[in-house]
Amino acid sequence: MKVHKYGVLLAALAMVATGCRAGDDGGGSEAVDAPGVTDDACPDAVNEDNGCIYLGTISDLTQGPFAPLGVPITEAQKAFWNRVNEDGGIGGYDIDTDKFVKDNLYNPQTHKQVYSEIKDDVLALAQSLGSPTTLAIVGDLERDEMIAAPASWTSLWPFEDTILESGAPYCAEAMNIVDYMVENKSIKSVMSVGFPGDFGGDGAAGAKIAADSNSLKYTNVETAPGQEAQAGAISAVVKNKPDLVILGTGPTETAVIVGQAAAQGYQGQFVGLGPAWNPALLGTPSAKALEALYLASGYWGSFGTDTPGHEAMREAVGEVEQENDGYTAGWAWSYPLKAALEEWLDGDYDKTRAGLLEAVGSLETVDYEGMLPEEAGNRAGDPNETIFRQTVLSKVDPKEPAGLALEEDFFSGPTAEGYEFDGPCFEG
Amino acid sequence: MTDFLEVLLRGLGVGSVYALLALGFVIIYKATGVISFAQPALMLTGAVVTSYVAPAIGFMLFTGLTFFVSLGAAALITAVIALIVERLAIRPMIGRPAFVVAIITIGLDIAIRVVASGFIGLGARPIPNPWGLQRTELLGLRVQERHLVSMLALAVIVAALVWFYRYTRYGLAMRAAAFDQEAALTQGVSVGSVFAMSWAMAGALAAIAGTLLATSAGVDRQLWIVALVALPAIILGGLDSLEGAVIGGLAVGVVESMVGSYQRDLAPWLGNNFAGVSPYVLMLLVLLAKPYGIFGTPEVRRV
Repeated sequence: MKVHKYGVLLAALAMVATGCRAGDDGGGSEAVDAPGVTDDACPDAVNEDNGCIYLGTISDLTQGPFAPLGVPITEAQKAFWNRVNEDGGIGGYDIDTDKFVKDNLYNPQTHKQVYSEIKDDVLALAQSLGSPTTLAIVGDLERDEMIAAPASWTSLWPFEDTILESGAPYCAEAMNIVDYMVENKSIKSVMSVGFPGDFGGDGAAGAKIAADSNSLKYTNVETAPGQEAQAGAISAVVKNKPDLVILGTGPTETAVIVGQAAAQGYQGQFVGLGPAWNPALLGTPSAKALEALYLASGYWGSFGTDTPGHEAMREAVGEVEQENDGYTAGWAWSYPLKAALEEWLDGDYDKTRAGLLEAVGSLETVDYEGMLPEEAGNRAGDPNETIFRQTVLSKVDPKEPAGLALEEDFFSGPTAEGYEFDGPCFEG
Repeated sequence: MTDFLEVLLRGLGVGSVYALLALGFVIIYKATGVISFAQPALMLTGAVVTSYVAPAIGFMLFTGLTFFVSLGAAALITAVIALIVERLAIRPMIGRPAFVVAIITIGLDIAIRVVASGFIGLGARPIPNPWGLQRTELLGLRVQERHLVSMLALAVIVAALVWFYRYTRYGLAMRAAAFDQEAALTQGVSVGSVFAMSWAMAGALAAIAGTLLATSAGVDRQLWIVALVALPAIILGGLDSLEGAVIGGLAVGVVESMVGSYQRDLAPWLGNNFAGVSPYVLMLLVLLAKPYGIFGTPEVRRV
């Protein structure tokens, strides 16, 4: 009889302990059975009593073309999840984004390889940087029911259940740029200059749709990466003199094209898609031309914007080498994953990756702490209904953090509002 | 016609930088029989060094002098780095097949680039220079001042190389070693020193080329890619020919500039970005007529 009493007591203690680990905030008390989730605390845990959810990061960290963005994105995401842990974690778990960080060298093969190395050790990917690289693992993500927060904005992502994107796609961004310029500068012609592939291509597709919708003359110029590879693009801008040039290039190419076209007498308007800008351009000989002729489009306000989310980001990342919007993007991209984890652990979902995927599909709003409207996180419904179509425009201002000052807060033009997204704008 | 000549001048400006890079490749190849794929990394290193030296000394000199002093310092520092790399990684491989050494230089290139990129930080590092993107009139033609500087730099360096190879003992030793290493050894030429000298010279040339390139938009992590254009330049000019490297570099620059400016109007069916392919098309066309390049030495074997 005595033994029986102790047995009951032990069983009760075990149940309490299990309940603590598997979400003691109510809702889902089912034990978690997913890769990358442990009852043991995270290494260097903030909350020693919490279990640990491991999130993977596959980014461009050393020698790829987007390393200047990949490094701050990764740093900001570490800071984001550290803040989550300091607030007690999620459902009895701390989040670790330190242990499984891989460099993709911006190479799709490398991306796929490092994904296969970590896929059994992580619950989801806090970051999968690049469109062609992420595209290389989309099939694997579906097979593994793995959620990934992408570090890119191609219009394919809203059509992929496993991709947890934030912000408007390049395509809608370019539509908004054209509509804004039609309304404010009465433009008659548009040229898109961009890299081949889904970044430049998705933007160019949006620009063409908006140009056709506004009956504007439209030209597309593809250009290769590299400082000295821009002669053709510059020549096309100077010869055709379009009223508006939309740039889907990297920052270096932006500096060369804007600076040299201006030096050759072009006085029209340049607007760059989000990744085309880097505040370091203000130290190049193109700085004056950029100040005079360039507007930067974006998916949310720049580094210095006054929202609670931006403020929390600036406080969390602390003193940085350069106030770069890679930090802003890394921080903003993390909110939907946080919301999904909360929904999954608190709600009545299978505590498996499939359950997390289901929880993602049920999100109707995400609290971005003001960085984006809450409806930008809507995942419940047809992509055409849920795609977020608003972007912002900033002007170049060397006195502002990241060199950008807000010109036009969240807006969407008639083209983007009315466009039927029945598939991605660009399929290369 | 004016437009055509301006495009030609722009091509010669860019081609001058390609020629400097190509000279570095050829100098190492002539001395060691190996194509060094570490040149792109040395080019990046040189530009990074200039981007640090120029602001550091800028407070005491005017911009033009600052640029040239920092350019000289970068050439010197990169030459020393190249010397160290040669001594540690290449010299022990003497006697190994050239293919093996070439593969080692690929590894060196990646390693040096990762280190150099670490000094670049987030974005591009500017290189203060007096020209920026300004243009000037030359015989009624508008040309970017930085392109004129590149052409002038190439002319000065080619003259210095001619003097070095013809009138100095080291130059003579390098020519002898390039012609026949064993015979040079028997005549007391230190072939090891020749190897070291060739790496140092190539490093300095790469640093100058990288700095000149970065005057337009600063030094970013992708600057090294430009050095790959030197490969078609050296092959079409002739792998073992210094004059071939110069002509090849200039030809590639001019063709790239012409194609970039006119192909979209004259031959749109070639598609976008044909300018990027044009150096390789030019190389193939030349190789069809001259399999060893324009100035290359035909290889003769007894059978």
